[in-house]
Amino acid sequence: MTAISAKGLSKYYDTVKAVDNLNLEVPENTVFGFLGPNGAGKTTTVKLFTGFAHPTAGEAWVAGEKVGDGNLALKAKIGLLPDVPAFYDWMSGRDFLHFVGELHGLTPTENNKRTEELLELVELKKHGNRRAGGYSRGMRQRLGIAQALMNRPQVLFLDEPTSALDPLGHRDVLNLILRLRENTTIFMSSHNLSDIERVCDMVGIVNKGKLITVSTVDALQKKYARSIFEMEFLEDAGQFVESLKKISWLAEPAIVSNNGTPVLRVRAIDIERARKELPRLIGESGLTLARYEMMLPSIEDIFAEIITNGEKK
Amino acid sequence: MKGFAPLFRKEMREQFKLYRLVIVCAIFLFFALSAPLTLKYLPDILKMAGEQNMIIQLPTPTAFMALSEFAGNIGQIGALIAVLMAMGGIANELKSGTAVMTLSKPVSRSAFVISKLLAVSITFLISMTAASLVCLGYTVWLIQGTAVWPFVGLNLLTGLFLIFCLAVTLLFSSLYKSSLAAGGLAIGVIIVQGIISAIPVIGKYMPGVLLSWGINLMSGPGADYWWALGITIAAIVACVYFAQQFLKNRDL
Repeated sequence: MTAISAKGLSKYYDTVKAVDNLNLEVPENTVFGFLGPNGAGKTTTVKLFTGFAHPTAGEAWVAGEKVGDGNLALKAKIGLLPDVPAFYDWMSGRDFLHFVGELHGLTPTENNKRTEELLELVELKKHGNRRAGGYSRGMRQRLGIAQALMNRPQVLFLDEPTSALDPLGHRDVLNLILRLRENTTIFMSSHNLSDIERVCDMVGIVNKGKLITVSTVDALQKKYARSIFEMEFLEDAGQFVESLKKISWLAEPAIVSNNGTPVLRVRAIDIERARKELPRLIGESGLTLARYEMMLPSIEDIFAEIITNGEKK
Repeated sequence: MKGFAPLFRKEMREQFKLYRLVIVCAIFLFFALSAPLTLKYLPDILKMAGEQNMIIQLPTPTAFMALSEFAGNIGQIGALIAVLMAMGGIANELKSGTAVMTLSKPVSRSAFVISKLLAVSITFLISMTAASLVCLGYTVWLIQGTAVWPFVGLNLLTGLFLIFCLAVTLLFSSLYKSSLAAGGLAIGVIIVQGIISAIPVIGKYMPGVLLSWGINLMSGPGADYWWALGITIAAIVACVYFAQQFLKNRDL
C-alpha cells in the first residue's frame, strides 16, 4: 500500500520553482528521508503534503486522502512536526498535549492516558507541568513530536526534526524516530546526511525543487559504489600487488596505510568482473586474508555526487 | 465548525492567563468611576484651583451627562483597545507558527476565527457589563437616579460597535503576519467609517452611528438607526467569513 503519493506536484513562487513536477510514491511503514541542501524545496514539499501550501499544479494523496485545503479527514490521519515547532508559551507541555487531544476529539479519559504515554515516550514527564515557553530547543522538539503523535497518525511528517539540536537532543530524537518506525510511515526532511543514513529505509534526493532520485539507502549505496576494493593480509602483499598490476580490468593497485595497518587498495575498471574474480586471485596468491571489503560510499558521498553531477544512469 | 469547543476553551483560558480580561476590566472600570466622579466634583475642583473672584458657570450634573460621557469614552477608548487586543489575534499565530500547529489538527478555519472573535468579545462584554453596573451605581449614589433600560440599550449598541471593531481587526490580522499592519489598517477603517458617519445621507448606515443612537436612547426621543444595526451585524459576519477564507486560501 502507498502511504504518500504525488503526481506532477509543483509549487512556483513567481519564477522560483520551489517544487517542480514531483512524482513520488512512499510505501506504508517506511521511513522516507527527503534529502536536499538548504532551499531545495523540502519544507515546501512537506507543506504541500500537509495542505498548508496550495500546489501550482499536480495532486497528492496521503493516507488515502486527497490533499487539499479543508480536508479534515486528512488532518485526522497525519501528524506534523514543523521545522520550528511553536507552542502557546503560557501552556505547560502537559496542557498543550491535552489541548491537542481535545482537537483530535479524544474523550477526557483517552486524552489523559495518551498525554501521559506521550510525555513518557518523549521523556518529558517530569517537565510536563512546566510552561512550554521555558523549554529548551531539544525539549520543544520532543514536545513537537509528542503532539504530532497524539492521534496515532498513519503518516508522520517531520520537517528537519534534528535541526539546531545539541548532540544529546539530536541522539534522543533519532532514537525516538527509530522507535516509531514500526507503526507509522515517516516522511522526514533533512539536510543532515548521517541522520538519513541512520534511520531511513528509503531516500529521495531533491535539489532546486527537482526530485533527482528515489531509492532505498542500500540500493543507492550499491548504485554509487565506488569501484574500490580493500584487502588486509597477514603477510607482505608486495608481490601480489605486482601481479595485480598486470591485470587489465584492475587499476592502481597499491599498499596504503590505514591507521598504521598496511592495506592493499585497488580500483576495478570492470567492477562485476572484479567482484567475481578478485577472491579467486587472492586464493591463488597463497596469502592469508584478514579483511576483504568493497568500499561502499556514505550517503554523504552519494549526495555530493548527485548534487554535483546529477543522477547516475 | 469542527474543533470549535476546544479552541474556544483555549481562547477563554488565554484571556485569563494573559490578564487580558483583568486589563480591559480595569480600564473600563476607570472610566466607569471617573465619569460621574469628575462631573460631581469638577465645580469644587475648579473652585479650589481658581481665584476667589473667578466665576465659572457649569451646568448642574445629571445622570444623563455622567452615563453618556462614560459611554462616549468606552466607544472611543474601547475601539482603540479592541484594535490593540485583536490585531495580533491571528497575525501573531501566523508569525510564531502556532497557527500551523493548531490547524494541522482536524479543526476548521472558521472555528479558528470564530473562537477568537467570540472569546475576545466576551472579554469586552464582561468588562462592559461590570463597568456599566459600577458607573450606574456610582452615578445614582453621587448624582441622581435614572432610567435603567435606555442605559442598557446604550451599552448594547456600544458593545456591538466594539465587536465590529474586533471583527475588522481580526480580518486584517488574518491577512498579514504583522500585527502592526493589521492594527494600522483596522484603525484606518474605523476612522474612515467614523468620518463617513458624519456625512448626512450615507452616515446613517455606518456602524459608528450606533453610538449616537445609544445617546439618543438616553436623552429621549431621537433618530434610530436600524439600518446601521443590520449593516454592523452583516459586517461582523462578513469579516469572519472573509478572515477564514483568507486563511484557507493563503499558504501558511
